[in-house]
Amino acid sequence: MRFDTVIIGGGLAGLVSSISLQQAGQRTAIISTGQNALHFFSGSFESMEEAPRRTVELFAEAGIRLHYSPGVRLTPLGTFRDAALSLEDISLFPTPQFGRKILLVSFMGYLDFFTSFLAEGLEKQGMSCRIRSLDLPEMEQLEQSPSEMRSVQIARTMDRIWEKVVQEIRVLLRDEDTVVLPQVFGLQDTSVPGRIRQGIPARVVFAGTMPPSVPGIRTQMLLKRRYEVLGGTYLMGDEATGADVRDGRVRSIATKNLDTHGLEAGHFILASGSYFSKGLRSNPFRINEPVFGLDVDYAEDRNRWYHPDFSGEQPYMGYGVRTDAVLHGIRDGQPIRNLYAIGSILGRTRPELGSAAGLAIRSAFVAVDEILKSDPE
Amino acid sequence: MKLQEYTESKYNFEECMKCTVCTAYCPVLQVNPLYPGPKQAGPDGERLRLKDPYFFNYALKYCMNCKRCEVVCPSGVKVADLIQAARIKYDRSKPKLRDRILASTDFMGSLARPFAPVVNGVTGLGITKTALDTLLKIERQRTFPRYSARSFEAWLRRREKEQAAFPEQVSYFHGCYVNYNEPKLGKDLVKVLNALGVGVRLLEKEKCCGIALITNGMSEDATRHARHNVSVLRKAVSEGRKVVTTSSSCTLTLRDEYPNLLGVDNADVRDALLMATRYIFERIEAGAQLRFRTDYHRKVAYHVPCHMERLGWGIFSEKLLRMIPGLEFTLLDSACCGMAGTYGFKKENYAASQAVGAPLFEQIRAVSPDIVACDCETCKWQIEMSTGYTVQNPVSILADALDE
Amino acid sequence: MDAQEFDVIIIGGGITGAGTQRDCAMRGLRTLLIERSDIATGATGRNHGLLHSGARYAVNDPESAEECIKENRILRRIAAHCIDETDGLFITLPEDDLGYQQTFVDACRKAGIDAEIIDPELACRLDPSVNPQLTGAVKVPDGSVDPFRLCAANMLDAKLHGGQVRLHTEVTGFLREGDTLQGVRTRNRQTGETADYYAPVIVNACGIWGQPVARMAGVDIGMYPAKGALLVFAHRVNSLVINRCRKPSNADILVPGDTVCIIGTTSTRIPFEECDNVAVTPDEVNLLITEGAKLAPALSSTRILRAYAGVRPLVSVDNDPTGRNISRGIVCLDHETRDGLKGFITITGGKLMTYRLMAEIATDAVCRKLGVEKACETAFRPLPGSEERSYEAVAQKIWESPSTAQKAAAARMGTSAARISKNDRFDKALICECEEVSVGEINDAIDRLEVSTLTDLRRRTRIGMGTCQGEFCACRAAGLLAKAHGCVEKERSDLADFLQERWKGNFPIGWGDTLREAEYTQWVYKHVLGL
Repeated sequence: MRFDTVIIGGGLAGLVSSISLQQAGQRTAIISTGQNALHFFSGSFESMEEAPRRTVELFAEAGIRLHYSPGVRLTPLGTFRDAALSLEDISLFPTPQFGRKILLVSFMGYLDFFTSFLAEGLEKQGMSCRIRSLDLPEMEQLEQSPSEMRSVQIARTMDRIWEKVVQEIRVLLRDEDTVVLPQVFGLQDTSVPGRIRQGIPARVVFAGTMPPSVPGIRTQMLLKRRYEVLGGTYLMGDEATGADVRDGRVRSIATKNLDTHGLEAGHFILASGSYFSKGLRSNPFRINEPVFGLDVDYAEDRNRWYHPDFSGEQPYMGYGVRTDAVLHGIRDGQPIRNLYAIGSILGRTRPELGSAAGLAIRSAFVAVDEILKSDPE
Repeated sequence: MKLQEYTESKYNFEECMKCTVCTAYCPVLQVNPLYPGPKQAGPDGERLRLKDPYFFNYALKYCMNCKRCEVVCPSGVKVADLIQAARIKYDRSKPKLRDRILASTDFMGSLARPFAPVVNGVTGLGITKTALDTLLKIERQRTFPRYSARSFEAWLRRREKEQAAFPEQVSYFHGCYVNYNEPKLGKDLVKVLNALGVGVRLLEKEKCCGIALITNGMSEDATRHARHNVSVLRKAVSEGRKVVTTSSSCTLTLRDEYPNLLGVDNADVRDALLMATRYIFERIEAGAQLRFRTDYHRKVAYHVPCHMERLGWGIFSEKLLRMIPGLEFTLLDSACCGMAGTYGFKKENYAASQAVGAPLFEQIRAVSPDIVACDCETCKWQIEMSTGYTVQNPVSILADALDE
Repeated sequence: MDAQEFDVIIIGGGITGAGTQRDCAMRGLRTLLIERSDIATGATGRNHGLLHSGARYAVNDPESAEECIKENRILRRIAAHCIDETDGLFITLPEDDLGYQQTFVDACRKAGIDAEIIDPELACRLDPSVNPQLTGAVKVPDGSVDPFRLCAANMLDAKLHGGQVRLHTEVTGFLREGDTLQGVRTRNRQTGETADYYAPVIVNACGIWGQPVARMAGVDIGMYPAKGALLVFAHRVNSLVINRCRKPSNADILVPGDTVCIIGTTSTRIPFEECDNVAVTPDEVNLLITEGAKLAPALSSTRILRAYAGVRPLVSVDNDPTGRNISRGIVCLDHETRDGLKGFITITGGKLMTYRLMAEIATDAVCRKLGVEKACETAFRPLPGSEERSYEAVAQKIWESPSTAQKAAAARMGTSAARISKNDRFDKALICECEEVSVGEINDAIDRLEVSTLTDLRRRTRIGMGTCQGEFCACRAAGLLAKAHGCVEKERSDLADFLQERWKGNFPIGWGDTLREAEYTQWVYKHVLGL
C-alpha cells in the first residue's frame, strides 16, 4: 500500500505532523502501537516558545480551543508549574494566587483527585479552601467495582449528569469566588467544561487527576477524528517491525499486521516516542531504535544512565536518536534523506520542564516543512 | 544469548506499564460493574494466578473477547488472550446447555437447515422465544438468524467444474454463517473473485472455526476443530492456494486464536489465510481490475468489527469500498457493537450488550446511511436488530456494484 | 500520658525484637519496643523470605539444621498467614558433583529433615521452571515466609498483650546507675521529641546495629557485617524453592514469595560505616542473574523489579578480634556475667527462621533476671491472623464468593481479613491494583499496625511492591495517610521519600520494561502531578 508519507507513531507529534501533511494535500498513514502519551497529558504545553499561532490554528480546526497566556498551572498535588499554552479548560494563571476563597469539589469515594494536597497548596498561597465531596446516586454503579472509581469512568457518567453537578455546586457555593473541580468533564461532549463554567456563578478551575487524563484522551480523540476527516489512514494497534532502506532512502516499512507487503511512501516520519512507547529500547548492554536502527546517543557505561536521586535529572531521559539539523534520522553516521525523527524519540526532554509536548509540536512542524519543501518523487 | 538482552512473558503480561489505557476503552467495563476490567483480569490477575490458581476470578466470563484492549495497549500486551487463556486453564465450571447450544453453530446449522422454513418460523414465534428465554436464558428480544434451506457448500459443489476452469484458484473458508444462514454472501464472493479471474474452491470439509466454543468454555472441542481445520487448510496451502474468508471473527480465530489460545500450530498456513477484502485489494494493487456500475448510488457507513480492528485489516475493506464510484463513504468511529458473538444472545448479557452498542447505534442513526457495511455476521445481527438499518458485508456491496 | 516504666525494654524492631517483645508480653511483662526506623527494616526484611527446612545447613552446621526444621514446623502452625508451604528442591547440575547428593540426604535425615531423592523428570514436572539439565533432585519441606507480615503480627500480638511500641525512635543513650543499666534516653526522629524510659532489663536486639548500641552501653561485641544482595523478579517463575545441591555458595536459592520470586544472595564483608546504606553493585547484579539462570533458565529473560541488599550480623565467638571464628548460630549474651554490666542482654546471630527460638532464649534470660517463672507459649499460640491454616478457608468463611481482591486480602491478613469485610461502602475500592490492596486494608493497617510513612505502609500491606512499584498507589495511599495524620505537607515529602526508596531498588536493574516504567513514573510525578 502506498502513501505520500507514512508516520510511525500516533501521539501528539505523529498527529500534528500527519494532519498538517494531509491538509497540504498529501495522502498519509499513521501506524500506531496502541494509544499514546496524550493519555497522560497534563493539558498544557509548558515550554512552547515558538509557533503558538500555527499550533492554535491546527487544534482549532480539530475542535480543540487552546489559549496562549504564559503563566502557571495548578498541578494535582497542589503545586504550580510554569506553562504557556494550554487546553481551554485547563486554567493558566498569571500568578499562583488566582482567588481568595476556594470551594474544592470532589466525589465520595474518588481517590484519584487529591483534594487535601490541593487545599494545602492553595492555602500556602494565601487562599482559603473548603472541601466538599458530592454523593451522587448516579455513581453507584462505579462504586460497585473496586477499581472503577477512576477518572475516565467518572467522566463517562459526567457526560450524562453534569447539569446535576452544576446544580449541586450552586447549592454548596457560599461566598467562594472560585470552584476547583477535577478534570472529569467533557470526555465525549467537548462543550461540557464551557457549559459548567457558564452555569456556576464563580470562577471554575479544572484541576488534574491521576492519569489517564480526560482532557488528554479527548484531545487524542479529536485530533484523530480530524485526521480521519481529512482522509488520513490511522492504523491503530499495528506495529512497524522493520524497514527496507536502500541508497540512503527508506522504501517501505513492514508491519505486524500487514506483513512484508507493508507500507511504501515517499517520506517517513518516526514519531514512535521514547522508552515507554518503545521508540527506544534498552537492555543491560545498549539503547537502540528498533525500526530503522538509527544511531542513538547514550553513555556506553550503564552506570551513567541514572541519577541515584529520583528527583535528579535522569541522563537516560536525555538520550535520543541522532539527526541532522532538519531532523533526518542518522544511521551509521549517514542521514536517511526521507526519514524524519520527531517528538520524544529525540530525547532532550525533561519532565520537570514539561518539555515533551512542546518538542513534539515544534519538531513535527520542522519535519512537515521539510517534506513539503522537498521534491515530490 | 546474553542474559537479560531481552525479556519475555506469557502474552507479554510483564510489558504492562499499568497505564490503564485498556480499561479506558473496554466496552464491557462501561456497562458491567461485575467485570474487573482488562487490566485487573489480565496482567494484574495473572501475577496472582501464577501464585495460586485460587486467585482465578469467575467474573472473567464477562469479557467479550473483543480484543479492543489489545488494540489500544501501548505496550503490546495481549490482554484478551491472557483473559481467555486464564479461562481455559482455570475455569472448572461446566458450560450450560444453553451455552453448548449457542456454541455449536455448525451442529445447529446442519440440524436446522433441512427444516429451514419450519425452524425459521418456529424461532420467530413469540411462544418459542418465551420458551427459549425462560428455559435456556436466551434473550427473547433477539431476532434469530434465519436458516437457509440450501447450504452454500451444496451450491458451490455443483459449480466445481465451472470454478476449476479459472486460471487461478483460491480456497474459501466460508464458515457456518455463510453455509447455513446466508449463502448469498458466499455467492457474492464467488462473483467478485470470478470477475478478477479467480475461481473459488471449497476446503476439504471445513469445521466451524470454534470461536463460540472457546468463549463458551469448550476449549477441548475447539481444539479438535482447530486441528481438523489446520489440516484441511494445510492441504489447500500445500497445493499453492490462498485461503480467503468473509468473516473477521473466523479469520482471527483461524490465524491467531489457534496458536495463541489453543496451542495448535498453524505457522505454515497462517500467512496464506486472508480476509477476502485484503486478497481482493492486493489483486487490484497488483494490476487486476474490477469494473463497477455507473448507476450504483449508495451512502455506506463502514463499521470496523472488533476482530477486524484487531487484525488491522479494516483498511482493505475501506479502500475497496472507496473504489466504487457513486458510493458515498463514511467511516464510523471505532466502537464495539456489543454483540460479541454468542455473548449478546444470553439473557444475562442482553442489557449490557445493548448499552455497549448504544454509541455506535446513535452514530449510525446520525449518518443515516443506505447500508451499513461490516465484515462480521454477529455485528450484523446486532446492528440490524438495534437500528433497523440494513447491514451488508463489503464483499456483497462490491458484488452489487459490479458491472456484469 | 504513656507509661515511662516497664519490666523490659527491647531495642530493635526486627523480627528478633518483635518476637522477643511478644514472648515477654505473653509472659505477663510490661514491655516497650523501641525501633529507630520501622519494623523489619534491617536484615529481617532484606533476605529471601525463605522458610528453611534446614537442609541448606544439614551438612556443614547440623545444629542450625535441627533448629530450622523444628522452627519450620512450629511456624507453619503459629504463623500460617505469613507462610507459603511450597516445598523446595535441591538440584544437582552437570557441573556439580552428584556424589554430594547422598551426603546431603544423609545429613538431612540425621537432622530430622524429610529429604527425598526424586527423579529429575519428576522435579521438572513439579516445577517446570527448573533447569532441565539437572542430573539430580532432592525434595525438602522448604517454603517461603513473608518477613514483614511475620514481624507485624508479632508486634501486633505484643500490643494485644499490653506491649507498647515506639517506632522511628532512636536510643541516644543509656541511663545507668553504677554497673546497672536503668533505662534509655530516646529521640523521635520524626518529631524530634525526647523521652526517657526505665526498665530493669534492656534487650539489645538490633542485628548488626547491636554492636554500636552495645558500645553505647560500654560493652563490646565483635560483629562483622556481611552484605547479601538479592534480586526480585516481577512474577513467580518457580512454584517450589529451588536450591543447588552443593556446598552453600552465592546466588543459589530462588524463592517464590507472594507474587514474585527472589534470587540471592551474595556475601561480601563490608565496613561498618556502609551498613546504613548498602547499594547493589553491577557485578552483584550480573552474578545474581548468571547464577540464577542456572537454577531456572527463564530468569535470563524475565523482567526484574528491583535489587536490594541486607546486612547479616556475623558474631565472632569469644571476642575473637580477627573475625575468623564466626558463629552463624544464636548468640545470647548476658552482659552481667560477660562484662559485669547488669540489666543488659544482647540477642543476635541466628536467622529469620529461628527468630522465635531466639526470642524464647532471650525472654528466658529476661525472666531469670526478673525472677518471673512462666513458661514460653509462643511455640503453639498462633499469631493474630493465623488462627486458620489456609487463606482459601479464610476467604470462603468471610465472603460468599470472594473477589480476587478479597482473596488477596485473606492471603495477606489471614483471619484478620474479617475486620475489613463490613466497613464503609468505599472501603473495597482498590488503592494498589498490582497487589490488590483495598482502602479497607490500608486503613486497618494505619489503625492497628503503627504506620507513619508510605514506606511503613508498604511493609504492612504490599502496596507499591508490585509491577508498577507504587507509581499509582503511592499517591492514593498518601491521600489516606494525609487524612489519618492530618498533615499534608509532611505527606508530600513522604511521597517523595517513597519514590526515592523505590528508585533506589530500580536503577541497579534499570533496563527494558523496568526502565520504561521508571520513565513513565518520572513523567507522571515530575510533570503531570507536579511533585
